[in-house]
Amino acid sequence: MASLTIKNAVKRYGNVEVLKGVDIDLEDGEFLVLLGASGCGKSTLLNMIAGLETVTEGEISIGDRVINDVHPKDRDIAMVFQSYALYPNMTVGKNIAFGLEMRGVPKPEREAAVFEVAKMLQMDHLLDRKPSQLSGGQRQRVAMGRALVRRPEVFLFDEPLSNLDAKLRLEMRTEIKRLHKRLNATMVYVTHDQIEALTLADRIAILKDGEVQQLASPAEIYDLPVNMFVAGLVGSPPMNFIATKVSRTEKGFGAEIYVRAHGAEHPILLDLTDHSTSVAPFVGRDIVIGLRPEAITQAGVGSVETQSFASEVDVTEATGADTLCILNWNGKEVMARVSSGYAQIIEGTMEFAVDMSRASLFDPDTETRLD
Amino acid sequence: MSNSTTFVPAQNRSVLWMRLLLWTILLLFAIWFLLPAYVVVGTSLKDLAEIRGGSLLALPHELNFTAWRHAWSEACIGVTCTGLEPYFWNSVTMALPAVTLSTLLGALTGYALTKWQFKGANLVFALILFGCFVPFQVVILPMAQTLGLIGITNTVYGLILVHTVYGLAFTTLFFRNYYVTIPDELVRAATIDGAGFFTIFRRIILPLSPPIIVVSVIWQFTQIWNDFLFGASFTTGGAQPITVAMNNLVNTTTGVKQYNVDMAAALITAAPTLFVYIVAGRYFVRGLTAGSVKG
Repeated sequence: MASLTIKNAVKRYGNVEVLKGVDIDLEDGEFLVLLGASGCGKSTLLNMIAGLETVTEGEISIGDRVINDVHPKDRDIAMVFQSYALYPNMTVGKNIAFGLEMRGVPKPEREAAVFEVAKMLQMDHLLDRKPSQLSGGQRQRVAMGRALVRRPEVFLFDEPLSNLDAKLRLEMRTEIKRLHKRLNATMVYVTHDQIEALTLADRIAILKDGEVQQLASPAEIYDLPVNMFVAGLVGSPPMNFIATKVSRTEKGFGAEIYVRAHGAEHPILLDLTDHSTSVAPFVGRDIVIGLRPEAITQAGVGSVETQSFASEVDVTEATGADTLCILNWNGKEVMARVSSGYAQIIEGTMEFAVDMSRASLFDPDTETRLD
Repeated sequence: MSNSTTFVPAQNRSVLWMRLLLWTILLLFAIWFLLPAYVVVGTSLKDLAEIRGGSLLALPHELNFTAWRHAWSEACIGVTCTGLEPYFWNSVTMALPAVTLSTLLGALTGYALTKWQFKGANLVFALILFGCFVPFQVVILPMAQTLGLIGITNTVYGLILVHTVYGLAFTTLFFRNYYVTIPDELVRAATIDGAGFFTIFRRIILPLSPPIIVVSVIWQFTQIWNDFLFGASFTTGGAQPITVAMNNLVNTTTGVKQYNVDMAAALITAAPTLFVYIVAGRYFVRGLTAGSVKG
C-alpha cells in the first residue's frame, strides 16, 4: 500500500485546459472521492493516475515514485470501469486471472488467487460463466474481483455504480466501503453522486472546471462549504440561499428578510450574532445566507438558542422519515425539514425554528464563504 | 396482413385471393431470375447433338457429365490442352493467402485506427477509404512497374500482392466500422491488466471479430476469385487464374463451338464463390448489421 501525491497536475488538449493545476495529497489507506458534474475533469484526473492519459504538466507519484512516464501496467494500480469492461470472450475466472497471466504468474498460483477473490466476493460459483450470462450486480462483482486479485497499491474506481439500479447500488456501496476497511488500501473513486461521495469518502475533492474547489472530509464539506458551488452541490435537497443585507442590532448583527405568514409579508430579523467576526465588515452590504433544510425545523424541539417565527407552508413533500416544507422567504422558495409526525397536522402557517449557528455566509460577489 | 381479418369469414376469401396473387407474382419472378442458371446447368449436361437438336429450355435427356470432365481436364486453353484444373489450383493458391492476408491486415489496421487513436487517425482512415473508390484500371500501370521491380511479374505471388494491397481499403473499412462499436474501456482495462498492442488484439479483439471476419472473407474471396482484369494484366500462360483461363477456353475454338463445355467451365469457375455464399452467407448479413442494434 502506498500514498498518492498529485502535484500541480495540468491537462491540456490543444488550447483547452481541462485540468488547471490540481494538488492532492493522499495518505496510505485513504479513500478519496472526486466529485463533480460531468465535464469537470474528474475522470481525466483518474485516467491520468491510471496512465491512460498523459500528464501535460505537474507530477503524479505513488509512494515516492514519480509515475508520469510509467506504463499503466507498471504503476501497480487497478481500475474498475463504469461499463465494467469485462472481456466478453472469457469466462469470469479467466477475466479475473487475465492481469495475473499478463504478469507471468504461474497457473496454480493464479487459480488459487482467483478462487480466493471469488470467495471474498461470494461469486465462486460463477467462475465458469461468461459475462453475458451474469446480471448487472454480478458483473460489477467480477469487475471488482479483477481489480482485487492483483493486490495493487492504489485502486481506481470510475463511477462504478452508475449502471446499477437503486437497490443494488446501495448494496454495492456498502460492499465497497467494507472492502476498503478490510484491505485498508488507497482508493480513488470518481462519481457525480454526492451521496456516494459523502458515504464512502475519507476525504472528498470537489472539482469544477478543472479546479479543486474544496478538499476536505465529508463532514467539513457538508457543514463548512468554502463557496456557494460546493454548498449547492452537496446535500439533498440542496442548501437554501437567502440573499439579504447585514445590519447592526442591539445584540450584535442581524439580517432582515420578509417571510410570508397568515397571508401577508412580515419582516423578520435573522440573528447573525454567532457570526459577528465575519459579518462585521459587511454591515450595510449584501450577503447570502446559506441554510441547510434541516437547520429550519418545527419550533419547540430545538435548543433554546434557536430563533423561531411563523411562516406559511406552500407545499409539503413527504420523504418518509422527514417531510419537506416549502416556505416563501424574500419571495423565494425555501425548504425546511420537519419530522413527519409533526408535518401531518400542519396546514397554512406554522411556527419554524431556525438554527442560525449552522448557517453558512457567503459574499454574493465572489460566492466564497465568509469566515 | 392484420390478424383481425382471420376472424371474419367474409374477408377470408379476399385475403386468400390476395395471397394467391402475391405468390404467383413471386413465382414468376423466381422463374425469370432462375432461368439463366437453369439454361447454363441444363446445357452443360447435354451433348452437342442434343444442344443442336433440342430447344434451349428443354431438359437434358440424361445426366451426362462428359462436358464437365472435358472442361476440367481435357479442354484446350490456347495451345495447352490441360483443362481448367491447373488454373483452378492457381486461383486457390492465389485466393487463400490473399484473402487471409488482406483480412488479417485489415483487422489490424482497423484495430489500430479505432483503439489506438493517434493524431490524424481520421485523416488516415479517410485516405484509406478513398482507396475503395480507386478503380482497378487506375492502378494497373504502376502496379505492373512495381511487380517488375520486385521481380514477381507473371507469378501467383504477384497476384497475391496485388489483391492484398487492393483489398486492404475494403477490409480496413469493414473492421474499422465494426471495432468502433467495441467499447474503448475494454482496451483500457486490458492495458492496465498489462496486455500490449498485439496481446490485446489477439486475446480480446480477435475473439470478438468472427461476424466481421466472415463478411471480410466473403467479400474478399468473391472479389479475388472473380477478378479478371488483374489476372489478365499481370499473368500469362501457366500462371493465369481460372477466370482468365475460362475466358481463353471459351475463345479457343477448333471447329465446332462446344457450348456444353463452355457452360461447364463457367460453372466450375463459379462454384467456389457459390460454395462460400452457401456456407457462410447467413453470417454475411448478420455481420454487416452487427453492432447497429444495441444489446
